[in-house]
Amino acid sequence: MNSKYSKEEIVKKVKELELEFIHLQFTDILGVMKNISITIEQLEKALNNEIMFDGSSIDGFVRIEESDMYLRPDLSTFVVFPWTSPTREARMICDVYKADGTPFGGCPRNTLKKVLKEAKDMGYIMNVGPECEFFMFHTNERGEPSLETHDNAGYFDLAPVDLGGNARKDMTITLKQMGFEIEASHHEVAPGQHEIDFKYEDALTTADNIMTFKMVVRIIAQRHGLHATFMPKPKFGINGSGMHINMSLATIDGKNAFYDENDPMQLSKEAYHYLGGTIKHAKSFAALTNPTINSYKRLVPGYEAPVLIAWSASNRSPLVRIPAKRGNSTRIELRNPDPSANPYLALAAVLKAGLDGIKNEIEPPAPVLSNVYHMNEDEKKEKGIESLPANLYEAISELSKDEVIKEAIGKHIYKKFRDAALYEWNEYSKFVSQWELDRYLRKF
Amino acid sequence: MELYRIVVAESSETYRNQVCKLLNQRGYKTYHATDSAGAIRISRSIYPDIVIMDVNLWGMKAYEAARIIEEDKLSTVIFIISNPTDTFYQKLRNMNVFAYIMKPMHADQLYRTVEFSIMNAQKIKSLSNKIEKLENTLENRKKVDKAKGLLMENLKFSENEAYKWLRKKSMNTCISIDKMAEKIIEKYR
Repeated sequence: MNSKYSKEEIVKKVKELELEFIHLQFTDILGVMKNISITIEQLEKALNNEIMFDGSSIDGFVRIEESDMYLRPDLSTFVVFPWTSPTREARMICDVYKADGTPFGGCPRNTLKKVLKEAKDMGYIMNVGPECEFFMFHTNERGEPSLETHDNAGYFDLAPVDLGGNARKDMTITLKQMGFEIEASHHEVAPGQHEIDFKYEDALTTADNIMTFKMVVRIIAQRHGLHATFMPKPKFGINGSGMHINMSLATIDGKNAFYDENDPMQLSKEAYHYLGGTIKHAKSFAALTNPTINSYKRLVPGYEAPVLIAWSASNRSPLVRIPAKRGNSTRIELRNPDPSANPYLALAAVLKAGLDGIKNEIEPPAPVLSNVYHMNEDEKKEKGIESLPANLYEAISELSKDEVIKEAIGKHIYKKFRDAALYEWNEYSKFVSQWELDRYLRKF
Repeated sequence: MELYRIVVAESSETYRNQVCKLLNQRGYKTYHATDSAGAIRISRSIYPDIVIMDVNLWGMKAYEAARIIEEDKLSTVIFIISNPTDTFYQKLRNMNVFAYIMKPMHADQLYRTVEFSIMNAQKIKSLSNKIEKLENTLENRKKVDKAKGLLMENLKFSENEAYKWLRKKSMNTCISIDKMAEKIIEKYR
């Protein structure tokens, strides 16, 4: 999505295509996309940043007293929806500003921008390529989403009549029409699980793209009579959905800052320090990269999801992997994030951790060479390998101890985020699940 | 008589079975759907001749599902309704065929509406295919003419020579003549 439009070009385009509605989109703290739809008569007003809304009604935004918020559309995110044929519609992604004209601290997009600015001041631009997995389920006879899948295909299978495959193909086409460069699209390991990868971009564009991607996947799935979900672990006993993040830093003149041909692993000092920072803060940014109760049911041994905080050059079991490609493709793959994460906050936190590593020259631990799933407790202790938080409550406690990550997301978001997570945890703790009934009802 | 394949999208089991039974007696093959998403899924798999859909179908709004089915050219939809309102007639105007089935339903009415709709849908489909084909031909013709003109101007060919040259070139490279014309236009632009 490199197209940059001026105000005049957007007005012209809207008239030319006879668009009827423009959606002004922004993301709340919990990572849910919100939108205000305006008619084209109000477009001028929107482009002059004059569209106002009541922030107090949005989860994690503000108190009633200061609820007037303004939306500032980012013109480069203007894109026409390819699927709405009766009424033509387009969208722009917006930043949220306060009435006094300053950026609102509770807007995740502003938060990511702030950390990206910090990186830029240090001479780096963050590039990110996500690998987003999701499930597509059938609806039941009442039209509600079920856990039944459309196929029984496995990894990379090609089925003769595959409703999910057709839907995925449609998604790829739609995303292409919207300016995405699709790198791969395939069936994943579990039945009904799919993955679509798109090309890396700078972190802000990628975060926008992830939000757009999720919207497109849901809409197109619906057009195929399927229910798409980004829930991290919808079914016990099969793989969950992750959102691996491939990240690298580029210097201002466009070189890959992680590559150094003279190092035995061909990684630069920055790469090692970035990695060191990532490993050091992994426990605390988990709350942001894995923000739901359900996220932690994915992070268990045996389903290709990472559990231990370690890194390796090739082995796919630990938290961080350095893919074999070097030169301009040198990158670090973080494997714990899942698609329920708010991409703006997750990237802000992860980048901040890496930058902290570079600033304080944090050395990473030695890489693990064997499959970490097979290590016993003593081996782990000996190598100083720790585990990711076991649940959301632990993750939040870790986050509360880490000033660096807290600074990355800002006071406002931290407080609202923690409150929301703890509320969720309390609700969950009170609930008596089927598992407990099966386990204890007869036993005691 | 042809063996039509018909999707019956109806949430009430009794009514669905009743409709299917009548259609089966007439010799048609029926497929059941109990919700909108299910109707879309079947339509995508088998491209039925027609989808009979209750306006109060469970799940996504029936109009929305019908729009998707017709927009993506999966099939044609006729609604089942007990009290048609003005809004309903408005919606019907945007559908492929202006027809619907009233509840309570009689066998005759069902057969007539279904057969009328299928035949009309087939006619509309073949006409729109024809139009699409003609539009394509016209479009290609324009391209070839433009390319011919460019060749005549730049390589000093006669019209006949320009066409022969274009045809030879496209045959040699195994691409259609309109694609070759596009390339020529691109080159001299």
